[in-house]
Amino acid sequence: MSLQRRMLGAFAATLLSTTMLASSAIAADPIKIGLTGPFTGGSASMGVSMRDGVKLAVAEINKAGGVLGRPILLVERDDEAKNEVGVQIAQELINKEQVVATMGFINTGVALASQRFYEENEIPVINNVATGTLITQQFLPPVSEKNYIFRMSANDIIQSGMIVEEATTRRGFKAPAILADSTNYGQLGQADLLKALAAKGVKAVTTEKFNIGDTDMTSQLLRAKSANADVILTYGIGPELAQIANGMAKLGWKVPIIGSWTLSMSTFIDNAGANGDGAVMPQTFIQSPSTPKRKAFIDAYQAAYKVDRIPSPISAAQGYDGVYVLAAAITQAKSTEGPKIQAALENLSGKVEGVVTTYDHPFTASDHESITSNIPVFGLVKNGRVVAARDEDISGANAVRLKTKN
Amino acid sequence: MDFLILAQLVVSGIAVGMIYGVIAFGYQLTFATSKTLNFGQGEALMLSSLVGLTVVQFTGYWIMLPIVLAFGMVQGAVVERLGVRQAIKTKSESGWIMATIALGIIFKNLAENIWGRDALKFPSPLPEAPIGLMGVNILPMEIVIVLGALAMMLAVETFNRRSIFGKAVVATANDREAAGLMGINTSLVITFSYALSSMTAAFAGVLIAPVTLTGASMGGALGLKAFAVAIIGGLSSGMGVIVGGLILGITETLTGFYLSTGYKDVPGLVLLLLVLSFKPSGLFGRSAIKKV
Repeated sequence: MSLQRRMLGAFAATLLSTTMLASSAIAADPIKIGLTGPFTGGSASMGVSMRDGVKLAVAEINKAGGVLGRPILLVERDDEAKNEVGVQIAQELINKEQVVATMGFINTGVALASQRFYEENEIPVINNVATGTLITQQFLPPVSEKNYIFRMSANDIIQSGMIVEEATTRRGFKAPAILADSTNYGQLGQADLLKALAAKGVKAVTTEKFNIGDTDMTSQLLRAKSANADVILTYGIGPELAQIANGMAKLGWKVPIIGSWTLSMSTFIDNAGANGDGAVMPQTFIQSPSTPKRKAFIDAYQAAYKVDRIPSPISAAQGYDGVYVLAAAITQAKSTEGPKIQAALENLSGKVEGVVTTYDHPFTASDHESITSNIPVFGLVKNGRVVAARDEDISGANAVRLKTKN
Repeated sequence: MDFLILAQLVVSGIAVGMIYGVIAFGYQLTFATSKTLNFGQGEALMLSSLVGLTVVQFTGYWIMLPIVLAFGMVQGAVVERLGVRQAIKTKSESGWIMATIALGIIFKNLAENIWGRDALKFPSPLPEAPIGLMGVNILPMEIVIVLGALAMMLAVETFNRRSIFGKAVVATANDREAAGLMGINTSLVITFSYALSSMTAAFAGVLIAPVTLTGASMGGALGLKAFAVAIIGGLSSGMGVIVGGLILGITETLTGFYLSTGYKDVPGLVLLLLVLSFKPSGLFGRSAIKKV
C-alpha cells in the first residue's frame, strides 16, 4: 500500500509543479486594478460608458506590452449606485483581490462611502466621473498625511461656476430659476449654484425642488413662469430633467435650460426628444473628432462596442484618460506599492496625452483635481446628440485646453 | 392670469389624480371580493407597461392594448393563486400581505433583468403637442388618460351589475359565505377579481406610460400613492377612489405652487392621517362591522 501511496504522491507533486510553472510563465504576475461603478440601474449609462472607456485603454496598454512589463488585469464590480454595495466592494477589492489601485465611481454618495477604506489601506483611487466637491477634499492634508483620492472629472464648483457664467455673463439672463432634485446631488449642486450667482450679484427668482420619479412638473414650472424667469438652471438626473423639458412644452412656455453635465445623459436626450433640443451643459469631452487622438478614441470605441452614439461620452473619455494617467504613475514609481504610486501621481514628470486634455503635472500634494474651469466646454443637445455649443471651443488652438497652474 | 394659473394647476392635478385613481380602483376590486389587496399593484402596472413597450414595436398602440389586457389578467390570476389563495383558505390575517409584497419584488427584479433599470420612452399614439383650451394647456394623452380611466371603471361597474358573472362577484362581495351556499364558486370569483384588478393596472400602465416614461421603478411610487388614495376615498367604493385620486392629485399641484414644491407630498399625507383618524373606512366607504 505504501508504494502505491508514494507513487500517487509523487505524481501529484509533479502535476502541481508543472501547472505552477506553466501559469507563472503565461501570466507574468498581472497588475490588478479594481474597476467599480453602477453597471446596472439608473446611472448605468454612465457606469457602462466609463467601464468601456477604461477597458479600451487597458486593452491598448496590454497590447503594447503592459506596465513594468506586466499586463493590467481589471477586477470589475457593479456597485449598483448603492453606498452599502460600494463599501462591500471596496473591502473585497482591498482584502481579497489585493488591487494595486481602483478606478471608478459615478455617484458621489458611493465614492464618499467607499473611499475611506482605500485611504486607510494606502491604495490610490482614480475617481473617473463623480463630481461632488467633497470627494477630493475629504483626506486633504492636514486631515490625513497623504490624500489617495484623485479625480478626472470637473467637480460641482467648476460646473456651477460655468453654468452661472454662461447664463449671466455670456448670454445676459437676468432672472434665473433653479430646479434641483431632492437628492444630495441636486441639493448640494443647488447650493453651489446659489453661491456662484451671489458672486455675480444675481438673485435666483425662485428655487424649486422635485423628487426622483416625479412625473408632473407643472407646479415647479408655473412658479418659475410666474416669477418671470428668463432661464432655467438645473441640477438633477436624466428622467426628471426630461420631464422638465416635456412639462415646458406642455405649458407652451419655453426658456433656455442650462444645467449640470447630466443634461447629456441619454435618459434626458431620448425621453425629452425634440423638447430637449437647445439644452446646454458643461462637458469635458464632446463626441467629435476634433483632434487625431480623439478621432482614434471614438473610432476604437465605436468598433469595440458596436455603437454609434457613446451613451455617456464624457464618462468614457475620463475613464480612458484615467487609465493612462495611472499607468504613467506606476511606470514612474517603478513599483506597485500604493504610497509610491501616490507620490508619482502627485509629481508626474512626463506629459500624458489624453482625449480630454494633455495631462502635464495634473496633480500636486494639495490639488487632486485634473480638471480646471477652463477645460470643459459647453455641449448642446441637438437632434438626439450632444454637440459643441460653439464650434470654436473645440477647434484650432482651443481644441486641447491645458490645466491652469497657480 | 391668476385664474389661468389656478385652472392649469387643477387640470394638471386632475390628470395626475386620475392616474392614482385608476390604480386605486384595482385595490378596490380585490378588496371587495376577498378583503385582501395586491400590494404588488404598482408592479403589476409596471410589468404590463413594459410588456406593452415590447409588444407595441410589432403591433402599434391600439392592437397592443388587448394583448396587454390579456397579459394583465393572467398576471393577476397568478398572483392570486400563488400569493393569496392559501392565505384565504387558512384564514391567515397577514399571509397575503407578505406574499403579494414578495411577488411584487420578484416581478420588479424580473423586469430589471429583462428591460434594464433605465427609464424608457413609450411611444405616444397621439400628437405630443399640447392643446390649448381657453388658455389652459393639456396634452392629448392626458385627456385620453382621464376618459380612458373613467370608461374602464364604468365598464367594470356595468359588468358587475349587469352580467350574471358580475352578479356573482357582487354577491361574493356582499357575503362570501352566503354566496358560497347559493352555489357560487367563490374562490373562482376571487381569482377573477384579481385578474380584473391586474387588468385595470395593465390598462392604467399603458395609458400613462407615454406621459410618465416607463421602467422597472415606475410602479413603486405610483402604487404607494394609489394606496393612499384608496384609503382616503374608501376601499369599498369605486366612486370613492376616483374622488380620492382627484383630491390627492389636485392638492399636490396646488400645494406645490402656492406653498412650496418641497412640501408637495405633505398635505396628501396629512389628509390620509386625518381620514384614518376620523373616518377610517374612507370618505366614501361604508364602515364594516366585523363580526366575531
